[in-house]
Amino acid sequence: MTQPLSEPTLAIEVSDLTVAYRDRPVLWDVDVEVPAGVLMAVVGPNGAGKTTLLKAILGLVRPAAGTVRVFGQPLKAVRRLVAYVPQHRDVDWDFPTSVLDVVMMGRYGHLGWFRRPGSRERALALAALEQVGMRELAHRQISQLSGGQQQRVFLARALVQDARIYLMDEPFAGVDALTERAIVKVMRSLRAAGKTVVAVHHDLQTVREYFDWVLLLNVRRIACGPTNDVFTEENLRQTYGGRPVILEARRT
Amino acid sequence: MGLDDLIISLLTDHTVRIVGAGALLMGITSGVLGVFTLLRRQSLLGDAMSHAALPGLALAFLLTRSKESAPLLLGAALAAWAGALAVIAITSYTRLKSDAALGIVLSVFFGFGLVLLTVIQRLPTAAQAGLDKFLFGQAATLLQRDVATVGVVAVLALGAVGLGWKEFKLLSFDPAFAGVQGFPVRLLDVLLTSLVVLAIVAGIQTVGVVLMSAMLIAPAAAARQWTDRLSTMVILSALFGALAGIGGVILSSVGDSLPTGPAIVVCASILVYGSLLFAPGRGLVWQRLVTSRRQRMVRALRVLAQLYWLGTQHGDPLRPHPAGALRALVGPDVQASLRELAARSWVRRLDDGRVALSPEGLAVGRDFLVETEPVLAPGTPESGERTA
Repeated sequence: MTQPLSEPTLAIEVSDLTVAYRDRPVLWDVDVEVPAGVLMAVVGPNGAGKTTLLKAILGLVRPAAGTVRVFGQPLKAVRRLVAYVPQHRDVDWDFPTSVLDVVMMGRYGHLGWFRRPGSRERALALAALEQVGMRELAHRQISQLSGGQQQRVFLARALVQDARIYLMDEPFAGVDALTERAIVKVMRSLRAAGKTVVAVHHDLQTVREYFDWVLLLNVRRIACGPTNDVFTEENLRQTYGGRPVILEARRT
Repeated sequence: MGLDDLIISLLTDHTVRIVGAGALLMGITSGVLGVFTLLRRQSLLGDAMSHAALPGLALAFLLTRSKESAPLLLGAALAAWAGALAVIAITSYTRLKSDAALGIVLSVFFGFGLVLLTVIQRLPTAAQAGLDKFLFGQAATLLQRDVATVGVVAVLALGAVGLGWKEFKLLSFDPAFAGVQGFPVRLLDVLLTSLVVLAIVAGIQTVGVVLMSAMLIAPAAAARQWTDRLSTMVILSALFGALAGIGGVILSSVGDSLPTGPAIVVCASILVYGSLLFAPGRGLVWQRLVTSRRQRMVRALRVLAQLYWLGTQHGDPLRPHPAGALRALVGPDVQASLRELAARSWVRRLDDGRVALSPEGLAVGRDFLVETEPVLAPGTPESGERTA
């Protein structure tokens, strides 16, 4: 079975997490350990609580029970270490502002109350836009962006947060192949820099290629560990409610 | 009375100056705060809040039995606040959605306010006379003291927006991301809502509780049409608010017994409709013009593509072709497109009715076909034989 690694440092440790909306539990008694430096996919059917798990880790939803620790500490103490890439549909893109401005918002936490972004923040934002291939669009009005470009803007905004953990909610949803490749490249360079990435992911075909760690989730935790050990037909069937899930072509 | 007499009399008339100052302060404050309510899609919350201020005014009067503006405005602010809280409570603790919550709060608070006003009218003292001016505002009764109060409120509200600019901007665009970065979203929300309350208080004597929401919506909606930058939008909105305020005061001082509040709102509406129609980029007229120009251009480029293609078929791209042949390929409105192309000297029209590409037209056609080949290549079977 699963080979226990040599006691890795945990980037995120979720214990007994239960979250309910009204009377319906969305997450039930979930334990997750994310070792530092992995690229982890969160996989599960719609309504499995994937987004809720990310939001609970970020302190955006209040759990009914359970704890979240980041690098062994409560989130409040280490907030700066966690960056977030929300689904790009979550905001109104007709807001009157530019790409560069949105990316600089990733520095607001570091700036703290009342201090305005300056040339340093500008430089960081431009560098992040360069990294996601959007440097030329820095001054574009955000309502003129495509879905893939919006996603990359949010990725750049998370990059300037200069965190150690990156939580991404369906970074590949509704983006074209070019953007998907750009995002994967950024994820890999994050891992190469020793960062931890946790991403909600829907495309089962690319899990093995993109991620070295997997959490299978369906309200309860089904399995969590290295992709090779955990991402099995049997576990997937359990995750997706007993229906067989075909993993064609990827098993060769 | 001539125009310069009018201006001089407006500038020197004490009442007009006081009223003008009040309207100006009101316009600027509601213009600035209106931008945030508009962008957060809370314009109707502003409406409910301003209506909800009425019972607060009436209760404050019943308690103090004076028409001193400071306590009355305090009462109005508290009631507007309670209205906002009631909306939040209803949406978060019941299954009602925000539209129902807004409707309930607006009508219940406002109705209660009207009942209190009736009670006040029947009081035996004379002090109550004219409290109903708060319904539609009565700028003419503004005193210097009142304007001073409004001035303090305006400075407080605008100062707070300036100080928390970055935080309010983030809250308005992406509140969840503000939370992720450790900003207390709930507190910021409460703060911004309180500033909207201040804006309502600043305007209540001039335009009244019923029309106040127009001043929170109209200048911001007009400003949104002209810019894609938040800072520019705020400045424009303040300007529009001030313009509407001053315009209304002038209108009502010139017109016979025209009430100031409604006159201000009429001015604001004119700004909104003008902006919706004529603003470059977002205005309806502008968009219509751009669309039809683009479509004309696309049709012209189709003709250019046909000419280019006909030319390559014959081995000489600049060779003239009869316009009739083009009509058969492209359709009846080929003449308009040829005029468009000739105006850009992409096409030469010969005296015998034939047309030919010019060298510039050839270059454009080449670029265009390379970029858009899949869409605009001729749909005839021969096109398949074309080699690149």
